[in-house]
Amino acid sequence: MSDLSTEVKQLIIETLDLEDIEASDINDDEALFVDGLGLDSIDALELGVAIKKAYDVKIDGNTDDSKKHFYSVKTLCDFIASTRA
Amino acid sequence: MKFAIKKCIAWGDGKTSVEDWYTFANNGSLNTETLTLPELKQMPAMQRRRLSPFAKLTLHCALAASESYEQTVPSVFSSRHGDLHKTSKLIADVANKEALSPTHFGLSVHNAVGGLFSIFTGNKAPLSAVSAGEDSFFMGLVDAVSKLHAYNYDRILYVYSDLAVPEQYQPYVQQNPDNVAVALLIEKSTSQACVNLEFTSHDTPNSAESSQLQALAFLRFYYSNNQQLVLDSKRYQWQLSHV
Repeated sequence: MSDLSTEVKQLIIETLDLEDIEASDINDDEALFVDGLGLDSIDALELGVAIKKAYDVKIDGNTDDSKKHFYSVKTLCDFIASTRA
Repeated sequence: MKFAIKKCIAWGDGKTSVEDWYTFANNGSLNTETLTLPELKQMPAMQRRRLSPFAKLTLHCALAASESYEQTVPSVFSSRHGDLHKTSKLIADVANKEALSPTHFGLSVHNAVGGLFSIFTGNKAPLSAVSAGEDSFFMGLVDAVSKLHAYNYDRILYVYSDLAVPEQYQPYVQQNPDNVAVALLIEKSTSQACVNLEFTSHDTPNSAESSQLQALAFLRFYYSNNQQLVLDSKRYQWQLSHV
């Protein structure tokens, strides 16, 4: 598990008040929304703001691209890493 | 205006059970005055995680008082300050030019807890949110009882809650900093025991607000043998009696 992935998981847990979940409970490839972790549309907004704040990345609203980026922890990490390259 | 209180559920500092409220109302001492939070086990964890202490207190009372009527009963939610702890954090974020949390923003509006109640119970009956300064408890009650009669409802749920305001606001509030939530299931008066509420406005307003939190004064009246409660606020005199 990369450092960035652990960091993102921790950010998800803290931002979304997932009290009973630990970073190790979240699978890198698992869907974050609906199935999988079970996050909803309010979480999507909240997570968008948090990621923007923490990593200074630009997220384009409700586009197909941003849906892909927010699919799982892995896709999010790839997206954050790509903006740093 | 007369009405019957079919159920009363309250939660405050160190006062969570009916016994606690009886002790409080009859001048007994309580072991602890610290605020604990209701668990709200009936709510799924994924919904519960977004609830602030203010929302937890309010929803606990609203759900316990409405019980089998929770899906259909119309309601009035009153609070003087609303979720001010949440609001003041947002204001601080605005001042610091930080991005606002969408969740906190959505849940800081005055009717947010009523909305959460409606979503959780699937209740689509009319619901209103009231705020009326230091008179918030009694004015909300007036609103609820008036609606009960005007629309000829079988019953209405009245919910009031306020937490002690954040420290920076305390110099502006005369009322004692207590935390309290109370929910009443109200029906029209019958031949059985009921309550009469009257109020008159002062010809000249009092110079200062009362230090008494009206909801706590009400609970002291409700759980004691006192026949009458008379309470002056800046603008009104409130009279409550058992009939």
